[in-house]
Amino acid sequence: MTKLTMKRRSFIKTSAAAAGGLMIGGGLATPALASYPDRNIDVIIPTREGGGADRLFRAFTSLWKNHMNTNFEPGFFPGASGRVGYEVYMGKYKPDAYSLIFGNMGPEVLNWAVKAPSFNIDDYIYFNRVDTDPGCVFVGAESKFKTIDDIVSEGKKRTLNVGTSRLAHPASIGILALGEHTGAKFNLVPLSGGKNTVAGAVTLEMDFCVLTSGSVIKAADACRTMLVFNDKNVAGEKLDNAPTMNDYFGTKLPAMFSARAFGIHKAAVDAHPDRFEMLQKTGKKAFDDPGFKDAFLKSKGFWPYANYGGVKECAEFKSAMLEMGERFKPLLTGK
Amino acid sequence: MTIDANFFLELFFHQLGLWWVVIPSIFLGLIVGGIPGFSAANTIIVLLPFTFLMEVEVGLVFMIALYCSSRLGAGIPAILVNIPGTAGAAATPLDGYPMAKQGFGQRALSISFVSSILGGLLTTVIALITMPWLARVGFYMHSVEMVVVMLFGISLIASVATKDTIKGLIAGFVGLMIGSIGADHVYATPRGTMGFLELYDGVPLIPALVGLFAISEAFMVIESGSFLSKDRVQQVQNASWAETFYGVKLTLKRWFHVGWTSLIGLVIGVIPGAGAAIASFVAYQQSRAFSKTPEAYGKGHIEGLIAPEAANNGVTAGTLIPLMVLGIPGGATAAIMMVVMQYQGVPTGPGLFTERPDLGYGVFMAMFVTYLLMSFTILPMSRYMSRVTLVSTVYMSPIIIAFTLVGSFVPREYMFDMYLAFGFGVLGYIARKTGYHVAAILIGVILGPLLEQYMLRALKMSGGDATVLFSSTLGNFLWVILIATLVLPSWLNKKKAKSEQ
Repeated sequence: MTKLTMKRRSFIKTSAAAAGGLMIGGGLATPALASYPDRNIDVIIPTREGGGADRLFRAFTSLWKNHMNTNFEPGFFPGASGRVGYEVYMGKYKPDAYSLIFGNMGPEVLNWAVKAPSFNIDDYIYFNRVDTDPGCVFVGAESKFKTIDDIVSEGKKRTLNVGTSRLAHPASIGILALGEHTGAKFNLVPLSGGKNTVAGAVTLEMDFCVLTSGSVIKAADACRTMLVFNDKNVAGEKLDNAPTMNDYFGTKLPAMFSARAFGIHKAAVDAHPDRFEMLQKTGKKAFDDPGFKDAFLKSKGFWPYANYGGVKECAEFKSAMLEMGERFKPLLTGK
Repeated sequence: MTIDANFFLELFFHQLGLWWVVIPSIFLGLIVGGIPGFSAANTIIVLLPFTFLMEVEVGLVFMIALYCSSRLGAGIPAILVNIPGTAGAAATPLDGYPMAKQGFGQRALSISFVSSILGGLLTTVIALITMPWLARVGFYMHSVEMVVVMLFGISLIASVATKDTIKGLIAGFVGLMIGSIGADHVYATPRGTMGFLELYDGVPLIPALVGLFAISEAFMVIESGSFLSKDRVQQVQNASWAETFYGVKLTLKRWFHVGWTSLIGLVIGVIPGAGAAIASFVAYQQSRAFSKTPEAYGKGHIEGLIAPEAANNGVTAGTLIPLMVLGIPGGATAAIMMVVMQYQGVPTGPGLFTERPDLGYGVFMAMFVTYLLMSFTILPMSRYMSRVTLVSTVYMSPIIIAFTLVGSFVPREYMFDMYLAFGFGVLGYIARKTGYHVAAILIGVILGPLLEQYMLRALKMSGGDATVLFSSTLGNFLWVILIATLVLPSWLNKKKAKSEQ
């Protein structure tokens, strides 16, 4: 029997050749994109764990991870109406497309209009919008107001107190725009959160309230909806077939949404356009995946509000929010 | 379905049949309630996927049992080692801890358990009977009225500072100043945040709570080597079951006190946004105001322990009423229950009692059964739990510091909150060493932001007109009671002293 032996010198030579061959071959044969993503992608969520954003994030990424062949790892940074999360993302994460932020474009962009963050707001861009939840005007079940006309006509006689979750909110902008258009006087009273805003309307402490309609739908019979800040009331009966502001009053108000979308450093888009393209394409695939509807409904989402948007739609919305925020800045900041 | 005595009897036995869910949930609740930073709300969030898998009825019973027992659990470390597990138990150590330090930890636990259970049972029954009317409380208690309720709690600063009024008021003022850190409630203008984004939403409660009470206490007991003096150690070691029964007897003798302080909890619990912290401080303040021995409060007074414990357990039934009757959750745990109910297709609000009365009334019956089962499962444990005070502080202090630092990290998962807890620990230690009352600081930190929130809301609604604070009948009635409870006791004392002379 021939004994197979290998001397030390020949072993080193063979190993080096093999390793070199692999490195060169691999390097030439594999484009840079093929190695992306080779690890998990971090996603900053600027709200608390267990909330609506968390549930929606998990629903969407449960499909997206299959199309991206990687996992999405959430990190929660609540506080200061989302400001903490954005500051952490823009200040501490490398712009290499391995980190994203999952934000709520409406209120969070309005935040920048009210008080600029420490970073340039053009240094990140939104993409892969997952849902749009329009703001609405609603009253408690026992309110004396039956229609939006009742509210407007009363608002012309006296200043009405309007509960809102916070001043820098798309729904607040909507009602200020209505006041500007009709001459009715509205005094916005921030009630710190959706739960308190619904309570403000139900207990009649406020004349009426404004909020994203998803929260009003959840309150069911406790509330009645009067007006929707969107081009169409896609929720129909769930929002009492309330008219939209643009239809009813002939205004041209941009849709006042709470809209959840992913954000990414602009520097990452510039440095790795291929990676960004992959994120967009796979994100759209995940949204169109038949399994997404099921995951969305399981996350307690309201399916008519699932609404995909790409970079263009997101940029338009961000710009509209900044413009509206600037327009009503004195009322939102008291300055 | 007819809603009569038979219906309730059947419901009771049906919920009792779910003991296999209730009992493990009670023990889980005791643990999460006892560790600062953990709570029923975040435990239910973590276990949410499991609750979705359970039948809706079982899921609700699980959540209710966890909710009630965590409220009770929060009082255990508050009594034994001066660490309130949640803000709702922040008033418990005022008299509970001095009792434990006197070697009556077992008795104090027994008093706390019985007053919690009795308060819980009583308010659950009242909630079941008066639900439609109680739900209306939220329609009358608005910002103006809540300003006065907050002042009831804040006036406690003057009460806890009886030994040295000036120092007490300074401590309370420091607490109020700390409580005003963060973005203001109307225009979100940051104040006193020192550039820390983590402070934009105000000083987080748990780090302040554990720092001021637990960490500073750990520093103090390291110096003394033991929680108890030598003769007290002997007393605890020799304590028998009789101590537990004596605690039960003392509490049952004060059944009226348990009753009215738990009702304070129930009424405050019904108001959306108010909570156990407010209820327990207001109940403690009222208990002291109407006591024949107010000077004994803060030194291990039985009624000073009964009041906050009965009140914060009264809150549990109260917070569920707006959810069940109106469809608006009264607190964080109720909000999570709403998510679970909606996921299972169960309506909340008025529809619940017409479509699923078994669930609507069943929630309160589950609460009743939980409190009932707690009396058999928890009460006997007081004897063994009280032995914690015998453990050398060489071991206990590092454990307390480690647990509480982790607890302060949990709610937001920020390292910053651990540093903050440590900072509050140092502040609390200095305060204790120099004779300033940490409870006075904490009252300011907890109730100050709430007072500001309601005050600013009322002023925003009135366009900045301060007379709005006296614009409602109920509000004015509460103002009169507030002034009476502050002025009458000292006036009566002076009158009594004069007549004795």
